[in-house]
Amino acid sequence: MASTSPTIAGAGLAERPRRSRVPARLDLLQSATGLVLALFMWGHMFFVSTILVSKDFMWTVTKMFEGYFIFGRPYPGIVSVIVFGILVLFVAHAFLAVRKLPISFRQWQMYRGHMKVMKHEDTTLWWVQAVTGFMLFFLVTVHLYQMLMHPGLIGPYESADRVWTGRWWPLYLVMLFAVELHGGIGLYRLAVKWGWFERGDADATRATLKKAKWVLTVFFLVLGLATLAAYMKIGYEHADRAGERYVPASVQPGAVQ
Amino acid sequence: MTTTTIVKAPSTSAPPAPAAAAAPAGGVATGAKIRVHALRYNPQEPGSVPHMQTYELEQTEGMTLFIALSEIRETLDPTLQFDFVCRAGICGSCAMMVNGRPTLACRTLTRDVGPDITLAPLPVFELIGDLSVNTGRWMRGTSERLEAWLHGDPQARDICRIEEPMEPELAEKLNELDRCVECGCCVAACGTARMRPDFVGAVGMAKIARFRLDPRDKRTDDDYYELVGTDDGVFGCMSLLACHDVCPKDLPLQTQIAFLRRKMAGKGWA
Amino acid sequence: MKVVYTDVLVIGGGLAGLRLAIAARRRGHDALILSLVPPKRSHSKAAQGGMQASLGNVIKGQGDNEDVHFEDTVRGSDWGADQEVVRMFVNTAPKAVRELAAWGVPWSRVRKGDRQVVINGQKVTITERDEAHGLVAQRDFGGTKKWRTCYVSDCTGHAMLQAVGDQAIAAAIPVHERTEALALIHDGGRCYGAVVRDLVTGTLSAYLAKATAITTGGAGRLYRVTTNAVICEGIGHAIALETGVAALGNMEAVQFHPTGIFPAGILVTEGCRGDGGLLKDADGHRFMPDYEPEKKELASRDVVSRRMEEHIAKGKGVKSRFGDHLWLDITLLGEQHIRHNLREVYEICHYFMGVDPVKDMIPVRPAQHYTMGGVRTKPSGESPTLKGLFSAGEAACWDMHGFNRLGGNSVAETVVAGMIVGEYVADFCDRAENDVNIPTGVVREFLEREQAKLDRLAQGGGSEDAAKLKARMQEIMTAKVGIFRRGKDLEEAVDELQELLVRSRSIGLRSRAPGPNPELVTAYRTQKMLRLALTVAYGALTRTESRGAHFREDHPRRDDAQWLKRTLATWKSDADTLPTLDYEPLDIRRMELPPGWRGYGAKDYTDHPDTAARQAEVDALKEKHADRFARQRALMPYDHLLPQRLKGRNERIDERFPAAPGGAGDTPESAFAWESE
Repeated sequence: MASTSPTIAGAGLAERPRRSRVPARLDLLQSATGLVLALFMWGHMFFVSTILVSKDFMWTVTKMFEGYFIFGRPYPGIVSVIVFGILVLFVAHAFLAVRKLPISFRQWQMYRGHMKVMKHEDTTLWWVQAVTGFMLFFLVTVHLYQMLMHPGLIGPYESADRVWTGRWWPLYLVMLFAVELHGGIGLYRLAVKWGWFERGDADATRATLKKAKWVLTVFFLVLGLATLAAYMKIGYEHADRAGERYVPASVQPGAVQ
Repeated sequence: MTTTTIVKAPSTSAPPAPAAAAAPAGGVATGAKIRVHALRYNPQEPGSVPHMQTYELEQTEGMTLFIALSEIRETLDPTLQFDFVCRAGICGSCAMMVNGRPTLACRTLTRDVGPDITLAPLPVFELIGDLSVNTGRWMRGTSERLEAWLHGDPQARDICRIEEPMEPELAEKLNELDRCVECGCCVAACGTARMRPDFVGAVGMAKIARFRLDPRDKRTDDDYYELVGTDDGVFGCMSLLACHDVCPKDLPLQTQIAFLRRKMAGKGWA
Repeated sequence: MKVVYTDVLVIGGGLAGLRLAIAARRRGHDALILSLVPPKRSHSKAAQGGMQASLGNVIKGQGDNEDVHFEDTVRGSDWGADQEVVRMFVNTAPKAVRELAAWGVPWSRVRKGDRQVVINGQKVTITERDEAHGLVAQRDFGGTKKWRTCYVSDCTGHAMLQAVGDQAIAAAIPVHERTEALALIHDGGRCYGAVVRDLVTGTLSAYLAKATAITTGGAGRLYRVTTNAVICEGIGHAIALETGVAALGNMEAVQFHPTGIFPAGILVTEGCRGDGGLLKDADGHRFMPDYEPEKKELASRDVVSRRMEEHIAKGKGVKSRFGDHLWLDITLLGEQHIRHNLREVYEICHYFMGVDPVKDMIPVRPAQHYTMGGVRTKPSGESPTLKGLFSAGEAACWDMHGFNRLGGNSVAETVVAGMIVGEYVADFCDRAENDVNIPTGVVREFLEREQAKLDRLAQGGGSEDAAKLKARMQEIMTAKVGIFRRGKDLEEAVDELQELLVRSRSIGLRSRAPGPNPELVTAYRTQKMLRLALTVAYGALTRTESRGAHFREDHPRRDDAQWLKRTLATWKSDADTLPTLDYEPLDIRRMELPPGWRGYGAKDYTDHPDTAARQAEVDALKEKHADRFARQRALMPYDHLLPQRLKGRNERIDERFPAAPGGAGDTPESAFAWESE
């Protein structure tokens, strides 16, 4: 043969047992769950930060999620269902992502050493992502369990009392940083991993994405810190009446149970 | 890393010209001194332990690491091992860690990385000695594993006849991906490859992407999935993109790996 | 005693070696490649500009064919080439390009319609034919009548090496990387393989084979200023020379490339000039038209290099702290062209000099570039004196380049010779009488002899510094055996090189580190290189004429009457300090193209007495035959020299084969499809 001999070309591809398609699905699912969780997290941040506008506004948003404006009365169970969904996504994402983490001291040491000599931003960011991801295993689980079991205890006073009197604020503070860093880096990585937004010049796109990532991270951190401070302040002022539910002035007492 | 020894150039006004460097006789000294800190280890020598050794020499005009290392070997230390072939940045032999990052030593100017220059062999690859590593064996293994050659039409063309036409743009695009010199920088820069020795690395994925783009290769995505559709393949990539950032040939690795990932992930439910 | 057996032992893993091994492998023989470095790092990679093959796809290549390519090559060689071999080559080159296209080489392609090019410093619009759209494109190169150089941007050798290297992997051909052949094992005029040193462990072993092929490339590192890679030290040449049986041909024929980057000597491709780049002097004056009004910058390399040095000698060079140089100006080609078609040039200028060739001129001066001489072989690639020893590519003196090689013909030769010689090697291995039947005692003797040499170097207590001897040799070669050669200089060079050779017998080592020991490598290579340097210098001293790249200021005329012959050098004894020179005359009466003026360069030469008669004969035959194939056959039949698989005409846009869906039967005489394996 002039070009390629058949003994060489396509050597036996057809005869081999086919490789499992599971890795492809797992890879897609890891990205998909991450994407949903990150977008949820942003939405969630907006919802909780409504406290910065007013207690009433935050109350309204809370009740909206409990179906109050549809059914005429709140069903906190709806929140539990949403939380359960997020928990499932979270566990799935953790399960998928843990495949990438260093699982032995040797791997841990290799990566750390590599990162230190390379001084390469995206390599270092992955480490941040891995560390924050690991932290989130515990922080998020605790938070979600609480929300799953006490879906009704969300509100301007209810949440503030939990944060302050319930001493949840240290957890929320750490979680805020972990989530924002992890999610922000994760979304950036998703974009470069799958080649989203890429038009012509990949390097320029990546630089823009990187910048957007940092802007968003800082924005949400500031928003998160302000929100947490607001709850802490309300909780501190409400400490002696902790446990009292918030009822907006516009709503008749007794209307809400 | 136990001991550090310092070897200095003889204090003559003009250092002897390294013959291999093909610089003009004597070289034009710039008056500046550079210190090359090289990792030394000879696995063939019983009792040899990895350590850093420092060589001090006079910087000459336009001095590259090729010239500096050749001079060290010819005048200071004949035992220092390293690899240079083309010394023009096209063969990929001389990749090493320069101040912590993998790059081609031959086209690295000492004035850009000095006056203190730390050199270490590429990680991941088998160490031959000092700064010399066996990238060749790794690359051949990768090529065999990924069947990284053009799988043409088994019905071979008559080479007396006019060749198959190809769009000029496509040819240029293929050449763009074909410019890989297999230097190993992308692998050495890859955090994933450092943790998982079986990872194919950017070089492997870029090769598959290159053949996938080539209409002369008759393989389908199902065939390519067999080669890279694993967690040691494209799904193992964590998109750290150091490969893209250090590639001496500026290959579009980010784009190509993303492209391959989309195609291979698409096979998940196909 | 470690012994490795194979059918074909290929020494050198560049394009020629890889292609040769693939040919032998496809004929069912085991092939094993020894390589100093991973094959894809070979110096073949440095061939930037392209590969000549008369496809005639571009409009400026229209009318090109084997005949034109043949004449260009023979003129380029200054009639030093073996014209039968040139014929074999030009007929196979288009097949090689097409085979490589099928193997994946991303040849740059023709785009139909108008395009702007730079010719002779002027922007010109040319129109490519519709039917050429998408076919392999050609660019202009020095010393050619037509645009014939097929290319992949300016990394042609790289792209070819990728594809051929990949195919060698696909064929599962083992490559023993980081190994070096130190001596050929031979007995009674038959070569049986080589003694090989492992450059990782430092151990010796014997490799035995039916056929041994030397494909080690050039010997540029005999010179201080060279475009060659640091591994191009001519060790393949040297081990053939050291047999005392095989001969090296025309070693004095050394090519200097006009555009080595100054002062590093790194190559910038002839494609720069082919695509319209100009050479300028200190005053910014384009000087080549003053010397070569016809071909200007695109005369053959030997001529351009000499004109450049001549111009520098007139004081027109640009003064720099490193010495004088000239300018290569490609700024007129424009950013788009430079960034896409001359990308390596762009990178080299950028990284090594901080020069942007889009805006600035590139400092250049001629640098040693190519070794026309090599292991003398028959058209089959086999040594006429040492049976079972083959050679191909730059390492060989096959001899298609004579005294000057055309740009684009070397990388073409690597694959073409690999294809042709590979078939002959396979034929050789097919014959039962060529089985290896060497007594192990002989193998042991060779191994012990080489080990003893290494031990003497390492432990002999010598006092000479190999690196210094080598540096001095390179200095002498560059200063005295360079572009312009004088009898007196050459005598001095030969004397001092002999002195160095004697001194090299008492080289001592500072280090005895186990393993590869780079100092030991320098030591034994220096001994070999000195013999080779002497072969070049002594051949140059003895040849009292000027031919191609060999230019004697004291004998400036080409002298066909005395010197139309090939130098053959052998090294008879270890004790010798000079090679033994013999000469092999070239037979004008069998030449298709009798000697004449090249079309560029000096016009005066001394004719051979046979030239006129042969010219008359040739003219008469040309008159008689209208068909170019019949005419060629009448002038100098060569078809019998081509392996069966490589016979056949080449199709072109203007020389279409009849449509042949039925296969080979419908194609013209002897054009055929290779049978399936």
